[in-house]
Amino acid sequence: MNYNEVTLAYFENTPAAGVLLGPGILRGAAGNRAHGTWVQFDLQVDARMVQAARFLAFGCPHTIAVAAWVAERAPGGELRAALPESVAQLSERFAVPVEKRGRLLIIEDAWLACVRGEPQVHRGNLE
Amino acid sequence: MSRPVYLDHAATTPVDPRVAAAMARCLTAEGEFGNPASASHAFGDAAAALVETARAQVAASVGAAPDEVVWTSGATEANNLAIFGVAEYYGESGRHIVTARTEHKAVLDPCRELERRGWRVTYLAPDGGGLIQPEQVAAALQADTVLVSIMHVNNEIGVIQDIARIAAICAQHDSARLHVDAAQSAGKCPIEFATLGVDLMSLSAHKVYGPKGVGALLMSRGGGAAGGSRRESVQMRARQFGGGQERGLRAGTVATHQVVGMGMAFELAREALQTEATRLTPLRERLWQGLAALGGALRNGDARHSVPHLLNVSFEGVEGESLLAAVRGHLAVSTGSACTSALREASYVLRALGRGDVLSESSLRFGLGRDTCERDIDAAVAAVGQAVSRLRRLSGV
Repeated sequence: MNYNEVTLAYFENTPAAGVLLGPGILRGAAGNRAHGTWVQFDLQVDARMVQAARFLAFGCPHTIAVAAWVAERAPGGELRAALPESVAQLSERFAVPVEKRGRLLIIEDAWLACVRGEPQVHRGNLE
Repeated sequence: MSRPVYLDHAATTPVDPRVAAAMARCLTAEGEFGNPASASHAFGDAAAALVETARAQVAASVGAAPDEVVWTSGATEANNLAIFGVAEYYGESGRHIVTARTEHKAVLDPCRELERRGWRVTYLAPDGGGLIQPEQVAAALQADTVLVSIMHVNNEIGVIQDIARIAAICAQHDSARLHVDAAQSAGKCPIEFATLGVDLMSLSAHKVYGPKGVGALLMSRGGGAAGGSRRESVQMRARQFGGGQERGLRAGTVATHQVVGMGMAFELAREALQTEATRLTPLRERLWQGLAALGGALRNGDARHSVPHLLNVSFEGVEGESLLAAVRGHLAVSTGSACTSALREASYVLRALGRGDVLSESSLRFGLGRDTCERDIDAAVAAVGQAVSRLRRLSGV
């Protein structure tokens, strides 16, 4: 499998990997490790503005790279249900093969679950 | 940037420089470039002599007679020739075949094609270590079984099947011929074709530092067998026609340089077989111990019955495609999955052993070779360790 430069860069560097701790952190996850793809986002939000974001992902390099890119882009923006780009745009940016685009929907589901989620009680720090 | 450490010798090996030099001498005007079938002049005679020398070298390396060697383009063609050739020759006396779920696709796909043509195929399930018990073969034989095809060494997990006992069982059957795919064992494990009791055996050159594009099918001419008396020599129908080469079984001009390369590669492999096995066994164990220390590493295949040059390990808590991508810059290895499209398909071999999809996909196959040293093993452990730790951290495991 060949990956484009953006995918390789985000897969190898994984900015914003980890979890957030503290009061009021939003957390949401989607997918299933046993089925090959699982993604989690943590968001720190103040007055509906995203202050910080982290992600965890079990999946292919495209999944990890896109989740990392989404988490990196989130801080400074308004808390919105939509991803920074549509699934189609993300597919193009990361050259995601059509057979794997369902994994982007899992990332989108994880983001939605996070945005709509209840503030978390934390279990530990992975950073 | 330095090249990755090559640990994919089970996929292919570089051509030995001595082999390459011998091959080159068969290509140009100064060398033996003649058509070995041209009996009317010295050029043809010289090429034919080289072909027969190579035939003798291959035969000697696996304990066969030269006239039992049929050149092919590789083990895949040899497997196809054996399976279809036997099926077509003996098809009127029986239409049942026994094989294993863990065979190479070059055996499974011909079997499936025969099923489409109305044949019945029994696919034996291995135990958790990948072994087929000879008793399973005995139980699967039917009155109209004409062929049993069981590989010697599995190409993914490296387990060695008990071919001698399976051969003895087949020898007691009225019509079951035994074919063995030995692509992964010839030149690496001791083989005595003449006494093993096997009817047909597929060989490949490029797994033992020979060229790609050449292999052979050994066809027993009958005689003694381990554990029982072998029947008459095995017969086959040809698959291709057009010149009568290779006793009419495989038409086409014999590629002198290719078979010369295979002959020398097999001779060199036979000379190095014991010392390489002795050298590689501790290296493979060093690799396993290093990987096991990472935690969550599962060895695939029965370690008590495996070849020294191959190790297959699954890693818990990591996704296979990412694992391969993470080590790719440092390490050339194979995975336990096939890329049939952008989506990966879990290894059918590992699934047959009872591994789930995720563990099957997260496996790496390490193939050690003549140039593999401790430094390579340590580099592999470091690269895999770094990748596994990072991916587990990323996945929150």
